[in-house]
Amino acid sequence: MISKRFVIKRLLLLVPVLFGVATFVFAILHLSPGDPARVIAGQRASEEFVRQIRTELGLNDPIWVQYGRFLFEAVQLDFGQSYQIQRGQPVTEVLRYKLPVTLEMAIYGQLFGILLGIPAGLLGAVKQDAVSDHVTRIGALTGISVPIYWSGPLVILLFAQVLGWFPASGRIASEFSIEPITGVITFDTLISGNFAAFQSAAMHLLLPSLVIGIYSMALISRMMRSSMLEVIRQDYMRTARAKGQGSKITVMKHGFQNALIPVVTVIGIQFGSLLGGAVLTETVFGIAGIGTLLVRAIQVGDYPIVQGTVLTFAFLFTMVNLLVDITYSYLDPRIEQ
Amino acid sequence: MASDSADESSPTLRDYAMLIGRALALGAVLAGVAVPLVVLSGESVRFASEKVFAVAALVFGFSILGWSGSVFAGRGIENFQRYIGGRSDWSEADSRRAMMVLGSVGAGGMVGASLTTAVVGAVV
Repeated sequence: MISKRFVIKRLLLLVPVLFGVATFVFAILHLSPGDPARVIAGQRASEEFVRQIRTELGLNDPIWVQYGRFLFEAVQLDFGQSYQIQRGQPVTEVLRYKLPVTLEMAIYGQLFGILLGIPAGLLGAVKQDAVSDHVTRIGALTGISVPIYWSGPLVILLFAQVLGWFPASGRIASEFSIEPITGVITFDTLISGNFAAFQSAAMHLLLPSLVIGIYSMALISRMMRSSMLEVIRQDYMRTARAKGQGSKITVMKHGFQNALIPVVTVIGIQFGSLLGGAVLTETVFGIAGIGTLLVRAIQVGDYPIVQGTVLTFAFLFTMVNLLVDITYSYLDPRIEQ
Repeated sequence: MASDSADESSPTLRDYAMLIGRALALGAVLAGVAVPLVVLSGESVRFASEKVFAVAALVFGFSILGWSGSVFAGRGIENFQRYIGGRSDWSEADSRRAMMVLGSVGAGGMVGASLTTAVVGAVV
């Protein structure tokens, strides 16, 4: 049973993380060249009009006043309005539609990584130095070494262009029109009972999830292998085998849960990379999620969108790590101490 | 001797206060020098204030992230290093202490930039 004190302590740690990210993003944006007022007004606008916008946005105030105001508004989840990409629309509203797209891809990618990485790591540990161990090791090292911007186009080339098994880009075939309920398209198509649309969405999602999950899978399998190898050599495992328990039962009943502890930590830390990877994956696969939104916002100088997106990423990352901590303490109750 | 080594390994509250105080002062002095220097190089007081404050805020934000990251995942990273067989001396406690010093320099810089801007603005 997880203690409330442990969860509250972890939740309180969210405050400095989000404060740090907010400060960091604020500083970066104020150091970067470009005038937000000029972005809004347009390149041909008069100086007077630009000055008027600066006053309206409070950009003429001293920087510490702007910093305080930004923090105060961020606490209330008010990141202002988009300057350029969806001009005038609140950033929270923009993020509400884009976030599920990225989350869906990252979660499927993580699932892919876990479902393939854990069995591969287990196999490598149980059959140490066998052919299967070498194969999983080569697979893992390849997965760790290959960057998304290279594996993405390669996967598209093979599975979409050459074999024609999967679509190369987008989220669903154009013939389907799905009214967004949650924004998670595989879920929405299932709720609406449109299985043909669900199949199309799943087929569209498979390649991006595969690409985003390869790195995760590689790291998880390596971690699982080394952790399992360490557990297998423990005295209690030897005792279990000496008492006549079968090898499979010993590994699965006594070894697996203990070997999982460091793997769970890696899964949590990996989620941050998945969100970072989403920026590249969405760009490669032409998916209009929060990653492409962030890239466009940086390109056109839409500061409120950048601030809101980065803070959302940070919040998600910390929440996933909180979940990992809870799982961690469930697997090993001593962690709470 | 044993108590000496124990004292060395566990800094007191006073030691921490001294460390933070020195780092704050260093940040304030650095910002106090940077703002007039940027103004002397031909930029406006507003530009100098914004950029120096932003640099200090960057350091401050980075250190907060580093500190909370150490608290959040420090133990996990220590375990991870152990599992992959890394020989690094990195530890959660050292990382937190380093980030605390860095954060104090940043915070001092932010305050220093604000105060110096008021003084330089009045002079120029």
